[in-house]
Parts: sequence; structure tokens; C-alpha cells
Amino acid sequence: MKGFEEIQQLWQKQKPDPAVSFDTVLQRIKSDKSALAKKLFWQSIVPCLVIIGLVWISLTVAFATWTTYLAVSIVIGCLCYYTVNQLIDYRQLSDSQSLLSKPQQYIHYLQGFQQRRNRFNTRHYSIYEACIALAFALYAVEMYFALSFWFFVSFIVFVVFWFLICHFVFMKQYIRQENSRIQQMIEDLQRIHEQFRDEDPADGR
Amino acid sequence: MSDQRLLFQQLFEDNSKRVYHLCYGYTGDSDSANDLMQETFIKVWQNLDKFRNQSQLSTWIYRIAVNTCLSYLRTAKRRATDELNDSIIENHTEEPSEKQEQIALLYQSIAQLEENERIIITMVLDEVPYAEIAEIAGISEGNLRVKIHRIKHKLTEIYNSNERV
Repeated sequence: MKGFEEIQQLWQKQKPDPAVSFDTVLQRIKSDKSALAKKLFWQSIVPCLVIIGLVWISLTVAFATWTTYLAVSIVIGCLCYYTVNQLIDYRQLSDSQSLLSKPQQYIHYLQGFQQRRNRFNTRHYSIYEACIALAFALYAVEMYFALSFWFFVSFIVFVVFWFLICHFVFMKQYIRQENSRIQQMIEDLQRIHEQFRDEDPADGR
Repeated sequence: MSDQRLLFQQLFEDNSKRVYHLCYGYTGDSDSANDLMQETFIKVWQNLDKFRNQSQLSTWIYRIAVNTCLSYLRTAKRRATDELNDSIIENHTEEPSEKQEQIALLYQSIAQLEENERIIITMVLDEVPYAEIAEIAGISEGNLRVKIHRIKHKLTEIYNSNERV
């Protein structure tokens, strides 16, 4: 049987040392910076290039119907929405002062952030999917005039089939996984938040 | 830039061990503790300009370390890990001494506490003043004393019951 004082003495005698040196940390800071810059570059440059490409196509190609221009605009809108949201969320997480706040406020902030990301990845994704479906439907009007009947029917069947697979297989699977992952995170954060509740000292013994 | 680097180096040398102990107590394994310690100091570097002298630098660093540990969530629960003993013992010698076994048992016992209890008791074991712990944990000193009393009792019980097994 040991008392707390003996346990404390045991702790103070051991003191395992960190296996990370100052130079390693400095090196990590440098490599993290460049990895992050690269990630941000690709996360913003790829959608930007696609948007420029779409604008260029809509300016140089003479489409027969106005619905195609609307379809391109909807796709551009969706891409802008996605890119801006990704960048805003990234900025919020990295520039947030919450890291320096009290643990309970920090945990509260993380819970809110995770819930927002959950909504973005699931509910907002449905709106995004609906918009893309609408864009394809509008583009189909152009295809109706440009393609032969059987090509047009094949095009429609392929697109509808692809959308059904995405909606009923991939999206459902993605939402299920994402929901359970984030729900677990939120529950963990909630549990930790409860632990840091400031109780009345008179309640404890 | 070099001034900032010097300050950072000084901060690292003064605080890295205590931060490491906190992370080790929290995660229960040395690899994760090293990762979390690194992450903490990266955040310290990134936020160095936000330090406003409203508290001691060590308190400020501890706050970042605590928040970094708290956001470290894993899908697999790491409470009372069985690998813990083995990894600590393996890291030292082939034939673990009695003292090393006791240390492994201590870490195993800390891992059985709740997250906030692990953080608080690690600082208590490292003899961080109560006022500083209260500021880091964001709770009143009165409440902290009550919590510490409970946690000490709980840890002692867990340790002794683990020792008997």
C-alpha cells in the first residue's frame, strides 16, 4: 500500500525525458510551413484553374442555348462556394485565439467547429449535389440539339445512372461515415467539456 | 527574427520537460507525448506575438499544451492501455527493475483517470503551484483544491489496486 506522497516521490524520481530536441521542433516548423503552403496552394489553385477554364469555355465557345451558360454559372458558383468555405474554415482554425482561452471555452469552440464542418460535409453537400444535377439538366438542353437522338438518350441515361449511384451509394456511405466520426468527436468533446465545469467547492469533499 | 528564435529556444529549454510530462501523463505513451509536445511548441512559436504578459510565460505555454492535449482525440480509447507498461519497460532495459515496473504502473493508473484529472494530477506531481494550475485549467482555486483532493485519493486507490493485481 502506497500513500500519495510515495507516489509523488516515485514520479519525481523517474522523469522521462522528451526525445525531441529544439532543432527537431524548429525543423518541423519549417517543414510544416512549406507543407501547409503547398496544401493551401493546391486547395485554392485547382478550383481557381477550373473556374478560369469554365469562364474561358463560356466566352470562347458559342453555345446554342442560354441554359448552357446558366449551367456553367451554376458550376462556377458551386466551386466558389466550396473553395471559399474550405479557406474560411482553415483560417478560422489556424488564426483562432481560442487555443489561448480557458480549456472549457476551447472545447466549446471545437465542438461548434466540428458541428459546422459536419453540416458543411453532409447537409450542404446535398444542396451542392442538387445544384450540379440542375446544371447537368440545363446542359442537356444543349445536348438535345447537338446530339443525335440515341446519343442524347445514352448521355441522359449515363448521367442519371451516375447521379443515382453517387446519391444512393457514395453519398449515403460518406454521410454515414462522416456523421459517426464527427459524432464521436463531438461526444468526446462534450465529455471533456463536462469535466472542466467549475463546480461549487462546497459540493465536494 | 533571431531574437524570437533565441526567446523560443529559451522557452523550449525551460519548459519542454514539464510539457512532455503533461503530455505523457495525458496520453500514456511516449511517442504520442513527443508528438503532442512538438505540436505544443509549434503552436507556441506561431502564437508568440500574441503573448500579452497577462500571465507567466510558463502558464501560457501550459495552457497551449492543455488545449493541444484536449483536442487530441482518438477513435480508439487509450484509457488504461495495456501496451503502456510494455513500451515503458522496453524503452529502458531488457530486464525491468522494480522501480521501472512501479513507474509503468503509475502511468497506467494515471491513464485510468478522466482527461481533466490526468492534466491536473500531472501538474500536481510536477509541483506546479495551485494558483498556476487553477489558471491553466480555467477553474477557481477553491474548486481546484476540492478536485485535487478527490484526484489524489482516486489515483492512490487505482495505483494500489493495480499493484495488488
